[in-house]
Amino acid sequence: MSQRDLVAELRSARIQAPSQVRERVRAIAAEAGAPSHPHRFRRRRSLVLLVPIAAALVGAIVLTRNNGSENDRLAQRGAIATVPYRAEAAPSTGTAVPAPSAKALAPAPSSTRVQRYGATIGLQVASPNAVSNAVKRALAITAALGGHPTSVHASSADKAGAADLVLRIPRRHVQEAVTRLSQLGTITSEQVDVQDLQAGLDATARRIARLQRQLATLRAEPQTPERDRAIASITSLVERLQRGEAATVRSAQLATVRLHVATPPSVQPVHHGHGPLHGIGTAAYWTAVGGAYALAFGIPLLALALLVWLVVRTVRRRRVDALLSRP
Amino acid sequence: MTFSQAAERHLDDVYGYLAWFTSDTFVAEELTGETFERALRLWHRFDPQRGSVRTWLCQVARTVALDHFRSERRRSRREQLAAPPERVDARFGEGLSPDLEAALGRLSAGEREVVALRILLDLDAAAASRVLGISETNCTTRLSRALKKLEEALHVAA
Repeated sequence: MSQRDLVAELRSARIQAPSQVRERVRAIAAEAGAPSHPHRFRRRRSLVLLVPIAAALVGAIVLTRNNGSENDRLAQRGAIATVPYRAEAAPSTGTAVPAPSAKALAPAPSSTRVQRYGATIGLQVASPNAVSNAVKRALAITAALGGHPTSVHASSADKAGAADLVLRIPRRHVQEAVTRLSQLGTITSEQVDVQDLQAGLDATARRIARLQRQLATLRAEPQTPERDRAIASITSLVERLQRGEAATVRSAQLATVRLHVATPPSVQPVHHGHGPLHGIGTAAYWTAVGGAYALAFGIPLLALALLVWLVVRTVRRRRVDALLSRP
Repeated sequence: MTFSQAAERHLDDVYGYLAWFTSDTFVAEELTGETFERALRLWHRFDPQRGSVRTWLCQVARTVALDHFRSERRRSRREQLAAPPERVDARFGEGLSPDLEAALGRLSAGEREVVALRILLDLDAAAASRVLGISETNCTTRLSRALKKLEEALHVAA
């Protein structure tokens, strides 16, 4: 028999499933009921891909929009408070008052103790003209309270202007001066320093008294050239100490008030050089970084997994071949 | 195509494939039922773009048959200790000469399988190789060897 005849005879075999098998399979098929949807799985699989992509896109858009609104907020903040309040460190014996409230800020100077009183006020006004007016009014207030300016610096350029004044005001009027000067504009910063000098003056007075007692003792003794020189030296020292004491008391009579008046600085829009797609760019960058790490660590693992899979498949095939090699 | 339609249309193909693969029509009847039960459970995974329903059902049937062969081998190993297994005459359907049936019975299960797929079910090499999980060349080689064996067996019988 030729191979063609053999194939023809094999093809002529009539094989039909017995009726009981047919019934059983029909019963199984009846359980299927409604028509199946073979594409459902593919749809689900495509959802698995689409959902993370959509989430990444939404995240990038949200990040981008957040950056934009952050820029707006920064720009608005710059326009409202162009010069932030400065709370400078107070000297060890001084007092720093952080709250920009004029009346509360300026404590009353002591009437019984000698104090060095200093105040710094930062004001903001609307225009260079307002700066000029504020300077004039500050000088007028200073004069009215019996003080005088020690330095006045004013400048203006385009729509901006600024002035720095150092004023010496009698200590008894300093509280009123601070209150009135603070009303010349919007307070942007304020600082009051009070340094107590009384202890130093008392020490100096005690030393002078001691030296004078020493002088009296020396003068009561018989005069010699050496004793004369000592009397002259101590007298000179006493006079120097008394002059210093007088200068301290005199300088403490006047408080130093530094006044800074300025227009609002022009607001520069906050710009980070980020476009509207910056978020997407960042997301792409980090995705690339993650991908690089995944490749670096994933490729050896993948190669190992592939090797294991190949070994398992070969072993399984050989077992199947051995299983099917018998008649 | 619904599962019912697929089952109705390809029941004989699956049964014939299993009958030749196992060379036992009683076993084939049992395995055919199991095949369609499993196919119903896996029906949602069937993708028409990856192959025909008949090919897919044959793949399921092959898995069921391999499970059967494995369990049979374990069982026969146990039983061989007590008594040698009884030889059952192979039956491959109507229209075959006794010599050809005997020759088919002497082929290995793997050889009968490829003959069933390529000749009985008339699957092309690509579909048959997909069912068997081997390359087309390997499939064609297997078929060629199986036919040569059959030819030799028939020649000896004649």
